[in-house]
Amino acid sequence: MKNEYIPYPAIIESVREEGPETETFRIVFEDEGMMEGFGYQPGQFVQVSLLGVGEAPISIASSPHHRGFIELTIRGMGKLTRAINRLESGDKIYIRGPYGNIFPFEGVKGRDMYFIAGGIGLAPLKSMIDLVLARREEFGRVVLLYGARTPSGLCFKEEIKVWRELEGMEVRLIADIPEGGWTGRTGVVTELWEEAEPWRGGVAYICGPPTMMKCVVEKLIRTGFNKEDIYLTLERQMKCGIGKCGHCSIGGKFVCIDGPVFSAAGANIEKWGR
Amino acid sequence: MREGCVVEVGFSEPVARYLCPVTVAAVADRGRQGWVHRSTIDDINMNNRILLKRNINELLARSAEAREVYLPLEGPGGDVQFLPLQEPKELDNLNLNYDQLIIPPKNIGFPQLESLFEFKDGEINPTVPVPSRHILFGLRACDLKGILFVDDFFRKNFEDIYYRHRTEGRLTVVVGCTSPSPNCFCTSTSTGPFIEDGFDLQLVDLGERYLVEVGSENGERFIGEFEELFLDASKDEIHHSGEVKVTAAKAVTLKVDFKEAIRRLTEDDVPREIYEEIAERCIYCGGCLYVCPTCTCFNLFDDMKEGEGARFRNWDGCVFEGYTREASGYNPRRDKCSRAARRYEHKLKYDYQETGISGCVGCGRCLTSCPVNIGISNFIEQLTGLDSKQ
Ligand SMILES: Cc1cc2nc3c(=O)[nH]c(=O)nc-3n(C[C@H](O)[C@H](O)[C@H](O)COP(=O)(O)OP(=O)(O)OC[C@H]3O[C@@H](n4cnc5c(N)ncnc54)[C@H](O)[C@@H]3O)c2cc1C
Ligand code: SF4
Ligand code: FES
Repeated sequence: MKNEYIPYPAIIESVREEGPETETFRIVFEDEGMMEGFGYQPGQFVQVSLLGVGEAPISIASSPHHRGFIELTIRGMGKLTRAINRLESGDKIYIRGPYGNIFPFEGVKGRDMYFIAGGIGLAPLKSMIDLVLARREEFGRVVLLYGARTPSGLCFKEEIKVWRELEGMEVRLIADIPEGGWTGRTGVVTELWEEAEPWRGGVAYICGPPTMMKCVVEKLIRTGFNKEDIYLTLERQMKCGIGKCGHCSIGGKFVCIDGPVFSAAGANIEKWGR
Repeated sequence: MREGCVVEVGFSEPVARYLCPVTVAAVADRGRQGWVHRSTIDDINMNNRILLKRNINELLARSAEAREVYLPLEGPGGDVQFLPLQEPKELDNLNLNYDQLIIPPKNIGFPQLESLFEFKDGEINPTVPVPSRHILFGLRACDLKGILFVDDFFRKNFEDIYYRHRTEGRLTVVVGCTSPSPNCFCTSTSTGPFIEDGFDLQLVDLGERYLVEVGSENGERFIGEFEELFLDASKDEIHHSGEVKVTAAKAVTLKVDFKEAIRRLTEDDVPREIYEEIAERCIYCGGCLYVCPTCTCFNLFDDMKEGEGARFRNWDGCVFEGYTREASGYNPRRDKCSRAARRYEHKLKYDYQETGISGCVGCGRCLTSCPVNIGISNFIEQLTGLDSKQ
């Protein structure tokens, strides 16, 4: 029987700065066979450790069609994430997983795809965006509405530059507080609605702070989306990642194994607290 | 019907479940669980045995030669704890008539603190315990129900190898309860004072002797090992054991409307004031969670000195404010009320919805341990005594 609590050593191959205290790490398992056999889908996360510091759930930001590495984008929020942010290429890190369920992919082909993210919340969506863009012709419109508190809080600036040039991909950005010569729009992400016209329905993928997600879900429903077509990836304090420690419970479900992806129809927003 | 299968015995309704020791001839088979005619009941009980009380110490001392034996041992202050037998002398402190263990025996499979792996200079060394033969002797029915519930939880989804190894090789011997504590309400939760299945052996106190019910092959094999200490049970003794069970059930005086409570919770029919009132009184010490036979939440943390250390897990609890607090400071269960409600909803609603079995086994320990007199039983009393529509 597998011991799910044991993480595997991996090496940081490269580090890319995304913004203040936020970096993207390209990571390769030390064991080649392990790397080769590491299969995952957009929406899933891994448990990342530094021995002696701790462990935390981090979404896989890379897309599974890129093989031989995974990428994690990590914002320094506490003990472990800040310690990871101090690491450099060549340093060792420990990974177990992948865990959690996935964004629907095959079933949504041919439809318009809306990605709506706040801050570091773009990390899990990026995996899906990359995969969709790799098979661009199989989908309708691909729209990204992305906001952050400050312009520097917007991650994946390089990818965004590339995405903006792609035909059939629309990117709209917004920042709450316009710092450092920001010439883009100011406000919250739902204020980008008109820019994303025409809303013809479709499938929406959301990740961001809890209040932002609530507002976006409500707005989407008012725009005419079915609850079943709205997917959220939820954050919760997690310890085990495998449905045992209890920390990530919502009702009778565990975000780590029954989520982190929930449809707005399945996630009773009023009861998020319980 | 084969030997070794479980049959329900009864007429229009099942009255009991037995492990079938013999091939039953007269069965009106209605699907998987057959109904056995009355005439076969005596056959079924044929492998009930008798253990004289004066032979108990010998049985335990001898079984301890090849296994670890956990027993209810009375400490100098009168507290009874479930501890492994270290030396035969400790058998003097054996107390099988205890009302309740302070800490339920869940800690045998799920210790309060355990190391998951050690590490040194970047090398990880798992600290998975080696399975060992052990006996849990003198369990109460409710506590075994708790253990079986926790077994299922650790087994499903990703099976927990630490729990598995700590519980593999286990033999459970229930001593049915004839001395309930005033806070016990196991007859309301159908978890005691005697257990109907899931045990290896169950002892029924007949005075000078115990009637021994065999619940599994494992139990049968154990008896076989110490054959000379067991006698055959007579029809009278079997009959007597039935009476003891009825008397024992009557001794549990605290009754709550458990079914109604589950209905109210699963239908979200709980007045918020009940939770608010509990939330105001609770001091969030977590005592109720630690003593709950089915609470299994844990925390993970690392401890390291000079490149050497270990990752541990320790018991945690949903009433603590930090339990759900995220690194950003956001806490989905920050308010006291939702933390108070979580506990009742988990045990009486979600567990029931997810598994068909409630996580409450009616032991009453939460009430006993609570410094401000909060417990599941009085929560239910309050809930079912009130009409939410008022
Ligand atoms: C499914 C999922 C995916 C995530 N993906 C990313 C990502 O791609 N990039 C990113 O920067 N962050 C992500 N997070 C958030 C990240 O896990 C937390 O910021 C991180 O756990 C904080 O740990 P810490 O030790 O630095 O903070 P501390 O405050 O020191 O936290 C101590 C411990 O509490 C727990 N904890 C605290 N906050 C959280 C939290 N928000 N979520 C989960 N556990 C928490 C962890 O076990 C952590 O080790 C994700 C969270 C979840 C649940
Ligand atoms: S034992 Fe009582 S005071 Fe302590 S957490 Fe439980 S309900 Fe609250
Ligand atoms: S993280 Fe432990 S149960 Fe979900």
